[in-house]
Amino acid sequence: MKNIVIGRFVPGKGFLYRMDPRTKIIALVFLMASAFIIRDFTTMFVAVGLLVALLFVGRINIIRVFSGLRPLMYLLAFTFIFQLLFNTQGDLVASWELHYSPLNILAVTMLVVTWFFVRRRLPFKFFFFIATFVGVIALFATLRLGPAFATGTLNIHQNAIETGFFIVMRLLVIVTLSTILTLTTKPTDLNLGLESVMSPLKVFRIRTEEMAMIISISLRYIPTLLDEANKIMLAQASRGVDFSEGKFKDKIMQIVSLLVPMFIISFKRSDELANAMEARSFVPGQPRTRLHQLTWGFADTVALVVSLLVLTAVITSRVVM
Amino acid sequence: MAIKFNRVDFKYKGEGKKGYLALSNISLSIQGEGEFITLIGETGSGKTTLVQHMNALLVADSGSVDIYGIKVEKEAVKKKKIRLNPIRKKVGLVFQFPEYQLFEETVLKDITFGPKNFGVPEKDAVETAKSVIKIVGLDESYLERSPFNLSGGEKKRVSIAGILAMEPDILILDEPTSGLDPLGRNALLKVFFDIHQKLNKTVIIITHDMNTVYEYAKRVLVMRDSYLVYDGDPVNLFTSKNIENWNLDVPDVLDLTNKLERDLGISLKTRPRSASDLTKALEEVLR
Repeated sequence: MKNIVIGRFVPGKGFLYRMDPRTKIIALVFLMASAFIIRDFTTMFVAVGLLVALLFVGRINIIRVFSGLRPLMYLLAFTFIFQLLFNTQGDLVASWELHYSPLNILAVTMLVVTWFFVRRRLPFKFFFFIATFVGVIALFATLRLGPAFATGTLNIHQNAIETGFFIVMRLLVIVTLSTILTLTTKPTDLNLGLESVMSPLKVFRIRTEEMAMIISISLRYIPTLLDEANKIMLAQASRGVDFSEGKFKDKIMQIVSLLVPMFIISFKRSDELANAMEARSFVPGQPRTRLHQLTWGFADTVALVVSLLVLTAVITSRVVM
Repeated sequence: MAIKFNRVDFKYKGEGKKGYLALSNISLSIQGEGEFITLIGETGSGKTTLVQHMNALLVADSGSVDIYGIKVEKEAVKKKKIRLNPIRKKVGLVFQFPEYQLFEETVLKDITFGPKNFGVPEKDAVETAKSVIKIVGLDESYLERSPFNLSGGEKKRVSIAGILAMEPDILILDEPTSGLDPLGRNALLKVFFDIHQKLNKTVIIITHDMNTVYEYAKRVLVMRDSYLVYDGDPVNLFTSKNIENWNLDVPDVLDLTNKLERDLGISLKTRPRSASDLTKALEEVLR
């Protein structure tokens, strides 16, 4: 739980920390848009290279970013696998005949059972899981044990590989970019920046100040609520709830015993926060003075121009190619 | 020896590169019966961390904690070589804030939650619930109420009842009397002392109230900046010079006895530890 990085500010040095939050937010939008527009491999690799370079130049702890990406791994893997299996456009790259025979199924079951028992003892659980998944398909495709009662075909198309790859890369790039923003920007600065960036929306009578406040409070409370969850787990563990094992029925009970106090505490906290804000004369929608003023520096202009250049370059490359 | 700390170090990770050192080189033994221990020290000195090691909620970074013959060590816990639930059945820990543990629809269900997790049949658990709710000073009508519509003090009592229902051998309470009025506080402390005396159980209480320490404790542990700086008799503690260094108060009764002796020249024959003892001793001298 502790190593969830999304939404957590980590103090540090480097130029990203000194930049104006407005720059970072606008640059993030430009770069995310670029990630969506990219359609060919070379550009994507260049983009990933630039992103890694940004991490290095910004002196951001890369291990931290990666450990934050870990919870996404399963999502990414499944997106990729689903693309492979179900996208049927483009040229046929490879095709296997799947052979469903009783003996084959036995072999597959043995593989899955081995995985089930060995997985706890091994490092790199995730890669092991993927390897097993691929192994299951490989077994069906290659083994020819006994007569088959049914056969199927597994076709992999060119578009499937491409789309899968791009979806995964895009998600990775987007999450890494937003992690950079939240890692290097204090919640208060983020709030100021968001408010300032969204202020043109006031024309449409959208209360940007309140929206910015809502966003920044939710970001601020992610780590707090995680800490609370940890404490609740300890309190329930001391009443005999074992969160690491148990049958399915027990699991539901465990989750309920965690979620109910979680909800109660969140409501209570938000109520207290509202009172604390009111006690300090916070009135929604009223103009307020600020302790911190945002200052626009030369570095900000450069960063903005560079991110705009990236976007233009990506668009041009798409139009030209 | 029920609980034995052997050179335990513990560090909270994540706060900066170094982490936050909560326990350093703690060695200590606690008997499984007949002890009444209070644990005191400033906020952030490691009291809660220490008691969370006593039922294996936290595991020492280095060193080990022996709990009823089970050696709790980092490697063993990581590899799931030992089962922790039997430990938690024997050492019951009540958390400081009841909000962290109450979750059921009714008080009854919440109290029986712990026993049922340890395999006690429903019927027996209900019987225990009916008796523990009285022990903590509430009546049976509370059993059907929702734990969320109770006052702060009532929630606290229900959360204590939830642990008492598990019938642990050692009962640990993290600031059990915070947020209670003086009357309720005294009543609850009597309850803990009764549990200790009648059932000869070991009770460990974290507190900031020196009067509690002086009146009830047979043994005091003082934590300071992650070190265990004192382990022994409360009388010796409060008559030593160290209490000022450790930012501890002098208990009211002791303070008054000292003033009587210094300012009025009244010296008592006994050393009273509670208000009522002091009155008796005074009557004896002044008669």
